[in-house]
Amino acid sequence: MNWWDDALHRATAEVLLTGALAGLVGVQVVLRRLSFFTMALTHATFPGVVAASIIGVNILLGGAVAGGIIALGVAALSRRRGQNAASATGVLLSAGFAIGAGLVATQNGFSRDLSSFLVGSILTVSPTDLMITGAVLVVVAVVLLACHRPLTFTGFDRAGAQSAGFATGAWDIVLLLTIEVVVVTIVPAVGTILALALIVAPAAAARAWSTRLGVITALAVVFGAASGLGGLYASMRWNIAAGASITLTATALLALSLLLSRARWRPAAGRLASSAVPAR
Amino acid sequence: MIEPFGVPFLARALAELALLAVICGPVSVFVFARRLSFVSDALTHTVFPGVVVGFLAGGVEGIFAGALVAAVVTAVALTLLTRGGALSDDASTAVVLTAMFSIGVALVSRRSSYTSDLTTFLFGRLLTVTPRQLAETAVLAVVILGLLLIGARAMIFRAFDPAGAAAAGYRIVGLDLWLNLVVALVVVAAVRAVGTILVVALLIVPAAAARMITSRLLVMAAIGTGLILLAGYGGLLASWTASVDYGFALTSASAVVLVLVFAYLALLPFRTRTRPASTGRSPHELVG
Repeated sequence: MNWWDDALHRATAEVLLTGALAGLVGVQVVLRRLSFFTMALTHATFPGVVAASIIGVNILLGGAVAGGIIALGVAALSRRRGQNAASATGVLLSAGFAIGAGLVATQNGFSRDLSSFLVGSILTVSPTDLMITGAVLVVVAVVLLACHRPLTFTGFDRAGAQSAGFATGAWDIVLLLTIEVVVVTIVPAVGTILALALIVAPAAAARAWSTRLGVITALAVVFGAASGLGGLYASMRWNIAAGASITLTATALLALSLLLSRARWRPAAGRLASSAVPAR
Repeated sequence: MIEPFGVPFLARALAELALLAVICGPVSVFVFARRLSFVSDALTHTVFPGVVVGFLAGGVEGIFAGALVAAVVTAVALTLLTRGGALSDDASTAVVLTAMFSIGVALVSRRSSYTSDLTTFLFGRLLTVTPRQLAETAVLAVVILGLLLIGARAMIFRAFDPAGAAAAGYRIVGLDLWLNLVVALVVVAAVRAVGTILVVALLIVPAAAARMITSRLLVMAAIGTGLILLAGYGGLLASWTASVDYGFALTSASAVVLVLVFAYLALLPFRTRTRPASTGRSPHELVG
């Protein structure tokens, strides 16, 4: 019997990989304030996933196509005058989810699929899912590392990046597509709500501890993986849904980080302020 | 074209949607102007633990009170977290959303079968709206419109000129809390009958669609209400026709949302004659 044959071992490996992947891309999501876009992606890839499983192609492909349409749709609709990105995202979110739910309703085995889509089914991941998650983790890490200079520049000083000759629009699309790939990869395994929680909460927690992007990213990956492991343990220990307990662990980590870092930063900030007074 | 609505359950569904149209038209204008799409999406998820706790504590009667408490807690938590400045507003919304929803799932998952509860929560039971629910919605509609009328002037000032409103002596935190509470009440009024999918659409799409034609707030509210009425009628009719005449299961909530979104898309080619209210901000600041 192989170590991978145990569902629990596979689930452990999957939460570690997913947590790391979500933490990695989460830093960008939190810094660029793309949480609602991420939420919309998790819901709007739904019809793609359902349609793909109905016509029998790979569900990741269906999700990726739907996610691409959403990313471009948000960009196009929010450019219209009078409209804003928040409402464009909301419209596409409702449309995508309504189409997906409508498609599911035409199939049998209706309620089970839908709830596993929402809260995920991390205990039933297959070795193939694991391999895909691992591969995507490597690819996303390489992309973020290779593009970190233009992405950071664009994120923090858009006008500066433009005048320095960076194609900011193109780099935005690189970032949105990276987020899309991550969402499409992890939603079938962990569900929409957990995907959002794992992307936002660990990165926000890491942000409380440091202002250096490298440190934040490393911390976010660690926090993400730790929330996954801790939540899985709590799920077995108290017999609650795995997705819910991982989300709550990630939230607890964030709350703890905010409280502790506030206590840690306050004296430091005082010192900084006093040393900033010019010596005469 | 009106014949299917002779059936009592369909007539009640249309009445519920008409009541919601009267509320959601004006409220969606504020959601649009203040960019609260994510907040309204979050509220539809965060009432879930309230629904669960209410049901466990008091049966079907307890659901309403539970949802109300959870919605008010969320509105207060979101206002405070956003003001606190420790987290950006979109991140705090995401965290409150996922945490509260997960509390609900954790509570439900300790019971044997929770998938059907979740499904009901998503789709609501538009076709099984009871006269009692209609009465509850009507009462809440009066309360919501009253709250909106009292605060409207100050909230419009705050939406378009926050610094000016603060300088004029309005309490920004209070106004934000006021609007969040109004949205929370709408969600409570609607979510059990029509489900989360439809509530989100009703709060976001009408004003966004109306904004294509006009930039006047009152006209936007009126057009929004009209669009919801149209979508309610068209969606229910499409759902009925598809199911009865063609044997094709089309969920009524989905049908209403899709008609609403088609209306939005159909209005896209229109051009407003007014000056663009372009803010020049990054297209990626999706909230705020």
